Amino acid sequence: MKKIVSRRELLGLIAKTGASGAVLGAGNALGIVPNTYVDIPQIPQANPSDRPSVVILGAGISGLTAAYEMKKAGYHVVVLEAAGRAGGRSLTVRHGDLIDEVGNPQICEFDDEPHMYFNCGPARIPSSHRNVLHYCKELGVELEVFINENKETYIQDDAMLDGKPIKNREFTTNARGFMAEIMAKNFTNAELDEPFDEWETEALMRVIRNMGDLSEDMIYKGSTRGGYSHGGFLEHGHALETIALRDLLKTGLFSMALGQNEGETGPILFQPVGGMDQIVKGFLRQLPEEVFYNVMVTSVMLQDGGVEVVYEHKGMKYKIEADYCFNSIPSHLMTGIENNFPDDYREAMHYIRRGEAYKSAFQAKERFWEKDDIFGGISWTNQPIEQIWYPPHGMYKEKGVILSAYNYGGGMHFTQLTQEERIETALRQGEKVHPNYRNLVEKGITIAWHRMNHMLGCSARWQKSRSGFTQEEERLFQTLRKPAGNHYTIGDQITKHTAWQESAILSAHWAINDMLSRKAGGSMPGQRV
Amino acid sequence: MKKFAKSRFNFLSLALLALSASANAQQYDLLDLSAQPLNNEVCATCHGGAGVGNASVGGPSLAGLEPWYLRKQLENFRAGIRGTQKEYIPGNEMQASVARLSDEEISELVDHISNWEAVAPKPRIEGDASKGQALYAACAACHGASGDGNEALGAPGLAGRNDWYMFRQLKLFQSGFRGKHPEDTAGQLMRPAAQALENDEAINDVLAYINTL
Ligand SMILES: Cc1cc2nc3c(=O)[nH]c(=O)nc-3n(C[C@H](O)[C@H](O)[C@H](O)COP(=O)(O)OP(=O)(O)OC[C@H]3O[C@@H](n4cnc5c(N)ncnc54)[C@H](O)[C@@H]3O)c2cc1C
Ligand code: HEC
Ligand code: HEC
Repeated sequence: MKKIVSRRELLGLIAKTGASGAVLGAGNALGIVPNTYVDIPQIPQANPSDRPSVVILGAGISGLTAAYEMKKAGYHVVVLEAAGRAGGRSLTVRHGDLIDEVGNPQICEFDDEPHMYFNCGPARIPSSHRNVLHYCKELGVELEVFINENKETYIQDDAMLDGKPIKNREFTTNARGFMAEIMAKNFTNAELDEPFDEWETEALMRVIRNMGDLSEDMIYKGSTRGGYSHGGFLEHGHALETIALRDLLKTGLFSMALGQNEGETGPILFQPVGGMDQIVKGFLRQLPEEVFYNVMVTSVMLQDGGVEVVYEHKGMKYKIEADYCFNSIPSHLMTGIENNFPDDYREAMHYIRRGEAYKSAFQAKERFWEKDDIFGGISWTNQPIEQIWYPPHGMYKEKGVILSAYNYGGGMHFTQLTQEERIETALRQGEKVHPNYRNLVEKGITIAWHRMNHMLGCSARWQKSRSGFTQEEERLFQTLRKPAGNHYTIGDQITKHTAWQESAILSAHWAINDMLSRKAGGSMPGQRV
Repeated sequence: MKKFAKSRFNFLSLALLALSASANAQQYDLLDLSAQPLNNEVCATCHGGAGVGNASVGGPSLAGLEPWYLRKQLENFRAGIRGTQKEYIPGNEMQASVARLSDEEISELVDHISNWEAVAPKPRIEGDASKGQALYAACAACHGASGDGNEALGAPGLAGRNDWYMFRQLKLFQSGFRGKHPEDTAGQLMRPAAQALENDEAINDVLAYINTL
């Protein structure tokens, strides 16, 4: 047999078809999926009569991490938070909670039950995010598995099969079948840049055949892997009708259907039992006196050997001075706060753009998806709602909370609608995936991060191009990461991997370590002014 | 080295103790919407601390605005005379922020904000101020030779405003996003003057001059 596929090409092909396990390992080795390790800053215990003072701006995950670690070391810490709650973007809403969107405040009306919550911001913790998991353990936050990929969910695209939703398993089986067939055929007549010997060739053909469930003549003739139309237990199972590759190709959702368990969502994913904000509550249990709410920072001034912060509370102004300031206020809000930062520092803050993520959810009157064999996972559609998430917890209970839209990259479409329009759009588009959806769900809530009070964005956008940081962007990033006087910018905003809690935690660790090394007369001589 | 010197430390704890008790306790309690404080804390998210303006989210400085003009614009946004075009997101966001204000709340805000001290903004626009001076002659009739405004004509002061914001407003006047609404008589007065500025360079020049006022 003439040999045709190089090892590299094969790897690429398999990657595209979703045989992800093999590739993930390889990707990891190449550093595509960031790996972190737990290395909690070792802060020497402070002398009780001479405690360093630290004022921390913002009680999100990064601010709470900083406060927790430095308090443990005996520092005097104070956390100033503009909102009436801690957590920042780690927001979980339940019965009676406020969604503080500027101009569109909502109160969540879900039933008052522990499993009826919605994670408006972070919802998933990859097992590779070891620092988040470290704190879950240390703070007594119970975890459960989050189901991200589920082949029983739907793929729906108006351009495919007249918009009829099909199960992910059907989609995947057919797509893999045809792709395997194509690989097998090409194997006979293309060029190799690194040939296989006969044994390898045979092994490879077996892999390809297996991957696509091909017939002996290496043709895809349909497969029961996509599910049965009827039978299966007492009777012979009959495969569902084969869907032509031509039809499948009409959707742009290929990678969504085939590759959800790759990259960041490749490892096992977790969620805290009872909502993501259990982590926030865990930190707060350790910081019962340190966090102050409804205090809006309005000025941050570097001083000789310290920082002076002014904030407002109920129309009154207060001033506080400290040795160090750890500041997690989103950079695009910090630019509106009086400061005497160096020009290049300010330039960097101005450079970062803000994101537009949008999420919405309904309370479902019954867990209709469970009758359709769906337990957790995500349905994908080409409509603006993009995704429907089924709760990976509360199985077989009466009701559940279903995510009805999630657009991370471009949520402005929804953001600009009125609340009524947002809900109606979610109903109309959800109906294409689940018939009768409209009558099965109620009490919709929407979260437009672009307009959430004290946030006005979802995550920092450093890069203007997809191809990575430009030299200029790298310079700005490094500028903002370094301390200005005794002031540190923290938060996922000052990492290369924004929009993950792991990054927020690591940013706090980085700043603490830098502070320590300066105290020790280490790597950063002198002070920036 | 410690900055929380005893006195400051005490000051802090005294000022905050009272607050922490109530604020901490209610953190996850039911929040009563009607009890939301309506003061600068709402506006400052976009307009910056003490209304100094924040280009990153598009909110201009408010400190130093004339009370009559401030009231007029809040009413304009509330009525949808300004900020309703979906294509112009900053206007949209401002519109949504104040769409539900009552007359009393507007009065309170105007009183509150008028007390803020104007802060000279950092110029961000580069232009030729001497060319701008010539162009400004056409503006002076309404906005005053020194750019301090004219209440009788409804023309606000321009000196000390954010230049990036004024740039955008002049573009909005040109395109008709501002100053075209049938009820916006003051905006209609302004619009031809913006249209007379031939290109962005002319806008930059006139703003460079205004920055010197
Ligand atoms: C839609 C969405 C989905 C996400 N999904 C995930 C996920 O699945 N997994 C994951 O790990 N991460 C996820 N993330 C990212 C994660 O939420 C963030 O990385 C993390 O929460 C950021 O924490 P932080 O401390 O850096 O910032 P923030 O949480 O933004 O904290 C900043 C704080 O500063 C406060 N503040 C603002 N202005 C002032 C002021 N003037 N004075 C005082 N305080 C002020 C804010 O109120 C806020 O509390 C998601 C984020 C979003 C928005
Ligand atoms: C979500 C962000 C946001 C919030 C919150 C917000 N604003 Fe604005 N505001 C803006 C933006 C953006 C503009 C500029 C609109 C434009 O470019 O036309 C603006 C414009 C204004 C103007 C017009 C200024 C002028 O010179 O014409 C006034 C007055 C104003 N805001 C007052 C307020 C007050 C008072 C509040 C609080 C009740 C408030 N804003 C809250 C974003 C906001
Ligand atoms: C015929 C009178 C008139 C002339 C001439 C005029 N303006 Fe205006 N301008 C106004 C009025 C009235 C308003 C307020 C409109 C409103 O209430 O919305 C205004 C508003 C503005 C604003 C918006 C301010 C804000 O806070 O949003 C800017 C910027 C401005 N003018 C710049 C100029 C410039 C530059 C010129 C000259 C090129 C000029 N104007 C000439 C009457 C005038």
